[in-house]
Amino acid sequence: MTEHLGEDAELYPLGILDDDATRNVERHIALCSACAQRVAQAQAVAASLAAALPLATPSPALGRRLRESARPQPTAKSRASFFPFALAAAFALAFLGLGWQALVLRERLQSEDVALVTMVHSHFNHVSMDPESTSPVTAKILYARDGSWIYVIADKPGGTLHAMARTATGSTDLGTLTSAGETATLLVHPRERIVSITLQRAGANVASAALAY
Amino acid sequence: MDELIEAFAARRPSGLEQAYALWSSLFLSVARHIISDGAAAEDCVHDALVRVWRAPNSFSGNREMLKAYLVACVRNEALTFLRRESRHDARALKAARLTPVTTVEPPVVDPVETQRLQGALARLPEEQRAALMLAYYGNKTHVEIAKEVDAPLGTIKSRISMAMRKLHAELASPGGSRS
Repeated sequence: MTEHLGEDAELYPLGILDDDATRNVERHIALCSACAQRVAQAQAVAASLAAALPLATPSPALGRRLRESARPQPTAKSRASFFPFALAAAFALAFLGLGWQALVLRERLQSEDVALVTMVHSHFNHVSMDPESTSPVTAKILYARDGSWIYVIADKPGGTLHAMARTATGSTDLGTLTSAGETATLLVHPRERIVSITLQRAGANVASAALAY
Repeated sequence: MDELIEAFAARRPSGLEQAYALWSSLFLSVARHIISDGAAAEDCVHDALVRVWRAPNSFSGNREMLKAYLVACVRNEALTFLRRESRHDARALKAARLTPVTTVEPPVVDPVETQRLQGALARLPEEQRAALMLAYYGNKTHVEIAKEVDAPLGTIKSRISMAMRKLHAELASPGGSRS
């Protein structure tokens, strides 16, 4: 393991480090309980600073969207962001501090790359999505030749993207793409063969593509 | 175990709904402080909470730790959004940020809630306090702060780090404030 984080442990919860430094902190705290505890302490301070902000009232629509997103989506498996996972790892290590947890966390970190591993062991096609609307998104679909998985990647999504698919028997909702830095992604294991996918932002179509097997 | 923590860690919908019910205003406050557009701020709250909640076995701790953790995730989501947008339009970044460079102060809303924080902030050395104010309430990176106050990057990092550690020592101690 590299040496301890130092001052970056306090800067990280403020969200002010650059991308490389942020990734370094996330990798480190997943395996170092001392630095994870230091980050967790800074986290608590940051939350205290947030408590001094003027309170805002969310719209009722936000609550409805969250409840909708919490409903089970058995066909879709989103690729989780590393950031919240690493923070969670910080808490786990900092406050439970058990060696075996480091092993568990390492496995979880590896599972973040499940989409890449899936691709490595598959034969797949890819297609660029055709932009639609006046505010399109650049996106690509990688998909298994046997139709067993589909991976959607959007560059600079510009908001929450939702994937809708058409099959031989009708339409199906694949779920919401998960943002991770500059991109948003979605890994899906569909129950039936998908013939086309459309990406929507705020209910408007922004890109689409047909899949040829 | 706390019912909320158990439900959240198990990715039950009730965990997400309870957390949102308890702290939704705080989450949106954090996002709105960074993003002026209300709809985009709500998007950030939604995306951050759902992502954390869906992450397998993503949390262990108590209720206060969960709140702090989610607040950090929302802030990070909002800052990521702001920086992404700024690459497309630098003017949007300028408009979205709080303005004065050297006079950024935390807004006081609830005197009871913020009394200890204000006292602890007031006892920080001025240079440390200014650097932290610019970082948190001014949404500036340590690189930007270094340029603004014309100080070495390492100095700014040290000031922010020291300020955070002093605040933790004060806020975590029983009774906290000495004033």
